[in-house]
Amino acid sequence: MIQEIDTQTYDQLDKSGPMLVEFYSKTCGPCKMLAFVLRDIDKTLPDFKMYTIDYDENQELKERLGVKGFPTILLMKDGREMDRLAGLKQKPVIKKAIEDIL
Amino acid sequence: MSQKVKYTSSEHLITRQANAEKEFLAQFEENKYTIDNPFVVQNPYLINPLCALILFHTPRETAPTVTVCGKRFEREDLRHTFAADTFHKLPVLGLYEDFANRVIISLPDGTEKEIVIQTAKLPQDVCRCLNIMTSADYMQDNFMFLTPAGKNLPTAYDYKGDIRWLLTENTMFDIKRAANGNLLTGSSRFCRMPYNSTGLVELDMLGKIYKEYRLPGNYHHDQFEMEDGNLLVLTQDFHRETVEDMCVLIDRNTGEILKQWDYTTFLPQDVAGSGSQDAHDWFHNNSVWYDKATHSLTFSGRHQDAIVNIDFDSGKLNWIIGDPEGWPQDMVQKYFFTPVGDVANFDWQYEQHAALICPNGDVMCFDNGQYRAKKKENYIKNRDNFSRGVRYRIDTEKMEIEQVWQYGKERGQEFFSPYICNVEFYEEGHYMVHSGGIGFKDGYAADMLGPFLDAKDPAVALRSVTVEEKDGTVLYELETEGNFYRAEKLSIYHHGENLCFGPGKLLGRLDVTPEFDTVPDAEPVDAQPDAWHNIVIEEDEDRMVFHGRFERGTLAMICLENDKESHHYFLNTSASWHLAMCSGAFLEDDDRDIKMNISKEGLKGKFAVKIIINDKKFDTGVSFFCP
Repeated sequence: MIQEIDTQTYDQLDKSGPMLVEFYSKTCGPCKMLAFVLRDIDKTLPDFKMYTIDYDENQELKERLGVKGFPTILLMKDGREMDRLAGLKQKPVIKKAIEDIL
Repeated sequence: MSQKVKYTSSEHLITRQANAEKEFLAQFEENKYTIDNPFVVQNPYLINPLCALILFHTPRETAPTVTVCGKRFEREDLRHTFAADTFHKLPVLGLYEDFANRVIISLPDGTEKEIVIQTAKLPQDVCRCLNIMTSADYMQDNFMFLTPAGKNLPTAYDYKGDIRWLLTENTMFDIKRAANGNLLTGSSRFCRMPYNSTGLVELDMLGKIYKEYRLPGNYHHDQFEMEDGNLLVLTQDFHRETVEDMCVLIDRNTGEILKQWDYTTFLPQDVAGSGSQDAHDWFHNNSVWYDKATHSLTFSGRHQDAIVNIDFDSGKLNWIIGDPEGWPQDMVQKYFFTPVGDVANFDWQYEQHAALICPNGDVMCFDNGQYRAKKKENYIKNRDNFSRGVRYRIDTEKMEIEQVWQYGKERGQEFFSPYICNVEFYEEGHYMVHSGGIGFKDGYAADMLGPFLDAKDPAVALRSVTVEEKDGTVLYELETEGNFYRAEKLSIYHHGENLCFGPGKLLGRLDVTPEFDTVPDAEPVDAQPDAWHNIVIEEDEDRMVFHGRFERGTLAMICLENDKESHHYFLNTSASWHLAMCSGAFLEDDDRDIKMNISKEGLKGKFAVKIIINDKKFDTGVSFFCP
């Protein structure tokens, strides 16, 4: 499941269990590509929670989470960051990172 | 479909040179050429406009001499005697540009033939000598060869500052003379940004390429010829996240990789970063040197302000020269040196280049000095900084270091190069210091590297200054326009074979270009992309280079398709900022212009080249054939 969220929704999320948070920008080609990669992963892992957040629109949140650029993927478990992938990555790399937190 | 995509197909320069050679040799065979009527071909190998080749037969074996007459007086004549033969192939090197050059061929029996070779003017944007201070006595028959740090060209200057050798191909990075007399330097063929070329080329002074050694991880910065002729070459593995952190030993005859060293196995990547370091380019290896006495390799790592020495066989770390601040304490105790001697005047090197080992084991390098501190709050501004050549004496038993010589600190910002450069050791007390990356803005050392400065801005000046000092006296100083990566003093002729006929060889291999395994949804359209994208597809014997202009944030992908298979390559249209730019040869004026190299390695058959731009898939109308 992929869901677009903002800071307020992020703060209210039930963060129990594993999830993926991606910071993207509308002005970023690799982010656009990553959207297709995540969509493909979502087809194989429909129950895994994936959230996308607009980097430019959520400045305070990205600073709070120490996100310095886009795209950035945070792999989280029970609200704690377990891993971070900076830049565009291919499916096997992201899948492996997800498997590590499942 | 209207033609908006440009397509060019060209043979490799090695092939074009082989064809040119075949052609002029066929013409030569058509007539009987003698010393009285020699066959003359100018720029025989297409890339050196300041040379010619003279061919003729003599009835008996004889050793001809070529004299390229000086512009002013006989003292300037260049003279070389060739081996005795009946078929004479005489390279005429070091011609003056835009000049009727007098060339005399003479035989031991007193026979002489004078010919005149008129050369054309060199391209307007060649980098001219601005000042030179030396003498004909000092330089003898040597020229100063400079390799480009940007779109300028490899150029050699004589003792008067006249350009006497120039390649119209943008070969790059290091240039060294091999034991056989040929030159070894970086190929001009683009492979990956910011400055990775396909490999290393071996060529002669005429510009004829004998070998191109292609490498899967490409070539950057430096190479070193071993005693057995095999080559140490700096490279990397593009299948991982880091760059400029590997060296390979390649077989001189086959180009096969015989051994490799991966610096991540002996250095931590996240410590002691220089001001230019990032996680991707954590070490930034810019030189390699083999020392026979200790059977060790010495690497210069700009982004750790460190000169690192390892054992050739085991790859184990022996020592590190550098400011120890920021390194783990156990490493400092084990591998770092303590300054001794005149410690008040001792300086560590920062973001250095071109480390070498002197015959007595001393270590020399060009200390660029960029930032000149490990902590950001202590960084020195370029206008307050200095660059220099430095020589350190090290005691690897006591782990002590003494600075025994330096040149350049006293010159301050006017000699400051934040990037590139080299030093040479000739003999005790006799050195070269090449500060080739000088850049001024508004009269001060600029804050940016040369390739990022606008050379058309009247407030900007790019300079290269090369100095030679003997026993404390400066005997040579050359100041040119532009930035030049390295300097190497060489005689234009050598005592080996100055020219060998026969086709050159393309050795080694490029890697299989990594593909992207997700393909975005895109609607196929029966049209070429808009002309604004300025798409150019250049096909070569072993690869294709795709050029295109894209607004930032565009989703773009190259697709190679035929009935049986398809291959997909993601094009990154984001703005990219490079902290290091040792050669700006491949930089575009408009940073929306991007290029991508796709190797033919791993591909077979004919493919239609298509391009996804956002939600549309365009047909370029170009096909790409992989044998």
